[in-house]
Amino acid sequence: MNVIEINNLTKTYGKSRGITDISFNVEEGEIFGFIGPNGAGKSTTIRTLLSLIYPTSGSAKIFGKDCIAFAPEIKKQIGYLPSEVFYYDNMKVIDLLKYSASFYKKDCTKRIKELAEIMDLDLTKKIDDLSLGNKKKVGIVQGLLHEPKLIILDEPTSGLDPLMQQKFFELLEIEHQKGVTVLFSSHILSEVQRLCSRVAIIKEGKIVTVEKISTLQENNYKKFKIHTKANLDKSYFDVAGVSKLEVEGNNVSFLFKGNLNIVLKKIAETEIANVWIEEPDLEEIFMHYYVKEA
Amino acid sequence: MNIFWREMRANRKSLLFWSIGVFLMVVSGMSKYAGLSSSGQSMSGMMSEMPKSLQAILGIGNLDLDKASGYYGILYLYLLLMATIHAAMLGANIISKEERDKTSEFLFVKPVSRNNIITAKLLAAFVNIVIFNVVTLVSSIIIVGQYSKGEAVVRDIAMTMLGMFIVQILFMGIGTALAAVKKKPNSAASLATGILLLTFVLSMAIDLNDKLANLKYITPFKYFEAKNVMYGGGLDVGFVLLSAAMIVVLFWVTYTFFRKRDLNV
Repeated sequence: MNVIEINNLTKTYGKSRGITDISFNVEEGEIFGFIGPNGAGKSTTIRTLLSLIYPTSGSAKIFGKDCIAFAPEIKKQIGYLPSEVFYYDNMKVIDLLKYSASFYKKDCTKRIKELAEIMDLDLTKKIDDLSLGNKKKVGIVQGLLHEPKLIILDEPTSGLDPLMQQKFFELLEIEHQKGVTVLFSSHILSEVQRLCSRVAIIKEGKIVTVEKISTLQENNYKKFKIHTKANLDKSYFDVAGVSKLEVEGNNVSFLFKGNLNIVLKKIAETEIANVWIEEPDLEEIFMHYYVKEA
Repeated sequence: MNIFWREMRANRKSLLFWSIGVFLMVVSGMSKYAGLSSSGQSMSGMMSEMPKSLQAILGIGNLDLDKASGYYGILYLYLLLMATIHAAMLGANIISKEERDKTSEFLFVKPVSRNNIITAKLLAAFVNIVIFNVVTLVSSIIIVGQYSKGEAVVRDIAMTMLGMFIVQILFMGIGTALAAVKKKPNSAASLATGILLLTFVLSMAIDLNDKLANLKYITPFKYFEAKNVMYGGGLDVGFVLLSAAMIVVLFWVTYTFFRKRDLNV
């Protein structure tokens, strides 16, 4: 079953920003990554799903219901963490969380305590006095306290330290095991790769591809940089799957796509001083998809 | 109801300051009357020697300045100005504040329709306005009563406050409607107060120039003037109906436009 169904969603603003003809589905129980550079249209898509803004054309369904016509009903089961967290400044954390809980007709007191403990959040502080990271924590607790069936996260890790990111990911794993669906928007590939089973890549308001993470990785280039001890023959690494080969004295660099064992064997057979194998950054993946399209 | 109470709490401090302000306005205004009346000169006599235009600007008309109630009639114009500034700003801000403070990504993803959010906010603004009005009413009755020397003032004051209440709601509606239409969150309050001051100046211009008399319909400050309302004049039925119609339209605009427009996130 699809929890989110987006059909030809288009939103044009007066200026250039917006999204064009976006379609993808998020299945029940999956953690779905939504990835793209800043300004690509991730937040616009999410805000349209939440009917904060309305589409120019196209439509979206959540839990099988139109996201505008049934907005109040759908939102009972949605937890949302915006990319930038802003709250009523003069409130204490606990007051804000209680206010948030008051919109869902159930007792969330226990869950608030539980989440605050996991995220190491001081409930008695004024929101005004919190650091960016701590405000984000309030956002996380606020988004999860009513035990939603769909969690929508817009760049959730910005501002969180690595330890908290870790705890937050664990929290999401637990929710995932309970069968909760997660839409995870990010511009950081590694965190999406870690959590998500499928991913939609968006660039300049258009979906470039929707893929399984595993497929994406198979299709991915790896960046190799090798520092050899002896000068190498220029064509030594020129095997199938290697591109952008550059040899400068003892330094070799290239991109590789395909069976990693082949290239690792090649490396093992030479005397090397050092080796770097890097994931391509997001921009390079986009380049890959643009090359494919052309 | 949770949104209603949240708004009541959020506006509590501002309402307190406005209430103190209007109370002090009544006190200081009427204390001038005490100073003038004890000088022994007839104030209405003094005033009648003043240029007609100055009399008009002060809103004197047929008010008898030798009486406390007459003096209150002049003060009323400034109470009205205060009350409407409060109402217009309150109306504009209560709608636009979520966008201004960027809390709309909190409130508007809750399982509540935009209509219900508007209703709660309008209700909170309404209660604030009622409180402001009652504070002004009670302060006026008490303070004017101090100087009235037995003259019956309660009925006249109550009548002016009823008129003020209608104009308050009208300006609150102008505020909410502008906030619903305008996407830039800060522009609504400034535009609403701009309209308010413009209509206020227009009401003065009408007093100065008889040819402008027909414009009285477009400035709410002319609807229920103290000189007409007091001394048994009561509220003009035509203006009450006109106000009611305008309020209905303004609230309709508030609901319709706010429901349909993109939030500024």
